[in-house]
Amino acid sequence: MAKVKVATVWLESCAGCHMSFLDVDEFIIDLSKLVEFRRSPITDIKGFDDVTVGIVEGSVGNEEEKEVIEELRHHCKILMALGDCACFGGVCAMRNTLDKETVLKRAYIDAPSNYKGKIPVAPGVPELLDKVYPANQIVKVDCYVPGCPPEPEAIKFGLTELLAGRIPVVPSNIMRFD
Amino acid sequence: MSEITLTINGKQCKGKQGDTVLEVCQANGVDVPTLCHYKGLVDIAACRMCLVEVEKERKPVPACAYPARDGIVVTTNSEKIEKYRRLVLELLFTERNHLCAYCVASGDCELQSMAYKYQMDNARYQYAWPSQTTDSSHPNIVLDHNRCILCGRCIRTCDEITGAHALDFGKRGWKTNICADINQPLGESSCISCGGCFQACPTGAIFSKISAYRGRPSECTSVESTCSICGVGCSISGLVKNNRLVRIDSPDMTKPRGLLCEIGRFELLYDAADRITTPLKRNSKGKLESCSYDEAFEAIAKKLGASDAVAGLASGKASSEALKAFGELMEKLGSKLVDTLDGDDCRTITQGIAKFDGKAGLDMEARLEDILTADSIVVIGAHPIKTHPVIGSYVMRAASKNKAQLIVIDPLRNPFSFRASVWLKPPEGKKEAVINALGKSVADHLSAKASADKGKYAAAFKDADIKKAAKDLGIDIHDIVKAGEILAGSKNGVIIYGSGILQYKDAAMVTKILNLAALVGDKPRVISLKRYGNSRGAWELGLAKSKVSVAADLAKGKARGLYLLMADDLTNTQALADSMKGVEFSVVQASYRSPVTEKADVVLPSILWTESKGSYTSIDGISKKTVPMVKANPAIKSDADTLKEVAKHLKK
Repeated sequence: MAKVKVATVWLESCAGCHMSFLDVDEFIIDLSKLVEFRRSPITDIKGFDDVTVGIVEGSVGNEEEKEVIEELRHHCKILMALGDCACFGGVCAMRNTLDKETVLKRAYIDAPSNYKGKIPVAPGVPELLDKVYPANQIVKVDCYVPGCPPEPEAIKFGLTELLAGRIPVVPSNIMRFD
Repeated sequence: MSEITLTINGKQCKGKQGDTVLEVCQANGVDVPTLCHYKGLVDIAACRMCLVEVEKERKPVPACAYPARDGIVVTTNSEKIEKYRRLVLELLFTERNHLCAYCVASGDCELQSMAYKYQMDNARYQYAWPSQTTDSSHPNIVLDHNRCILCGRCIRTCDEITGAHALDFGKRGWKTNICADINQPLGESSCISCGGCFQACPTGAIFSKISAYRGRPSECTSVESTCSICGVGCSISGLVKNNRLVRIDSPDMTKPRGLLCEIGRFELLYDAADRITTPLKRNSKGKLESCSYDEAFEAIAKKLGASDAVAGLASGKASSEALKAFGELMEKLGSKLVDTLDGDDCRTITQGIAKFDGKAGLDMEARLEDILTADSIVVIGAHPIKTHPVIGSYVMRAASKNKAQLIVIDPLRNPFSFRASVWLKPPEGKKEAVINALGKSVADHLSAKASADKGKYAAAFKDADIKKAAKDLGIDIHDIVKAGEILAGSKNGVIIYGSGILQYKDAAMVTKILNLAALVGDKPRVISLKRYGNSRGAWELGLAKSKVSVAADLAKGKARGLYLLMADDLTNTQALADSMKGVEFSVVQASYRSPVTEKADVVLPSILWTESKGSYTSIDGISKKTVPMVKANPAIKSDADTLKEVAKHLKK
């Protein structure tokens, strides 16, 4: 049987969900026999190709992240949101109660660590979106594994279900939001 | 109450007329999820989690507010209903900023566990991300509007259980918020800091500052005990992690003495002062130095055993067991100068009662629960909200729920003043004149039959002149007349007095108050506020039998030796230390370093009531037991053991 192709992306988040994924212990050996990781922070492959499962960690907070998730959606059949940021907005969404300008000013000018700070404007720096969005408010998401980070158990459950051809819904006993 | 039968999920379930559908479900073991429902509070159907289908109803109804009727058919678990509940959850999560990852309540949040239950792994709605504020102006309580679901549990607790009604909904519609008073910062509001709100809060919208992030209930053990701080004797349950108290909760706020107060909830979580962990002895240079128990006992036996005028003073903060051992030790020392720190209060009260009714003693005092059923309450010379906050809550609850008429006699404004039907403001030191005038006014208003029955009590006030008193005291005569009218018509009035009366050490004043109480209702109901958690326990053990104050004798230099049992008492320590000047050899048994221990020649450590088993007698005579919530330092002996050891060493 051909290996299932999986791509993962890491958007606005701390990478903790990918860490938690590596925390599934010996399951990763079984998994490596069944799946092939394409674009992913783990493989360091940069370009997209068509995959069966796309996994998104992190929320969408700037133009680049929006592009990446849209491209991932385009290239995958099933998209899984991994972690609180992708599912709900998470810690990154803390800035959502303020407007964009206030956030930038606070970070680059007002924060005590700045010396003669100014808000960066450069062609290579992606523009912030007005708010930080969970994945499902930008593209269609098929399944969710919440948690900050998700329990390795929950990640294992999500992947096992997907490999068995089912859409996972994390059971209450291993679901965590924190 | 007639029985009714409902069909719930196809099963016949029995309930009582007047029950809500939710109550019938709960009584029959049918699980209905709730958020805004809280045991003992009036239901307001704010959250919509308890939606159920009722046959012939056009749409789902909230079970908590829907009256159960005979024969109705209820479905609580249909697919449609479960779908609605998940929808309600998603709306709640998107309405405010519910971010569990850094929320203080995560792991202890009903909203979160409800979301787990319904496997809410995403929200389909646009998030509102409202810009909400956090009010941390209060020293102990934080109000974080970001996490609020507007269930109103805090508001109803504050109103129905605490009686303060400091919280309410402010603004309207989308902008609705919990606000204190007229939208003031919580720290500047009329909040009495009882902490009922954060115990009732299902999310992290109201939380205790000191308990935040110190441990989740799942990481803690919960121990039920009794609070021994003020003598109300509330049941408490302490959350303990790594042998440290994380939070004090009430096991059930709706039960009598289940409500807690600022002191009980927060005092234990702070370190009051430096703990004393070993016996201390003054060395040749005059400095306190730690020593072994045996050395300390030897020194005490040598010095106190030889002294001929040993005084013994005990604080009412110690447990009855310790006080009993203290009494025995004093007997062994042959001391005639034994007293409690609040012995004057005891003498004033008991002599006052003796003059009123020779035999009754302290037992004639009313139960605290009498306040809740009273139709009139007189508060004179007492600030229960400060000293015994739960009694204050009882008074406010009676005034708001029971429509009890409140008569406050105090020159200064206090939280009762605006709730009072009559607020008499006599100048400082003129309380007796007010009592006289009030007594006369009550006697004047009594019905013919009542005045015949109560003639002997009314006689106490026959010489009073209301007009003259009103003029002298600068009180409106109509107020006195109105107060008299209220009390004369009252059936079960309660009179509460405290340090404002006892400070005069005048038993006649207590007798006057009892006479006044006898004129109100069928029997005199009086509650005196005692200073310490176990004051009454100490008095009942006969430790305050001395005719005069030993503390005063001490100051006069009448004692040469002193044994002072302080336990964890830290009140008035400077004054006490000053009066110890003339003492040649003093032993202090205390938990904390204070001016008193600095004067002592030998200091013995004392364990805290939170670390030990003990009995305490409440101000209305109920004996309650404490259970150790945290483990004591094994090097410290219990108070009673220490005292017994001291007594043993004296023999040699």
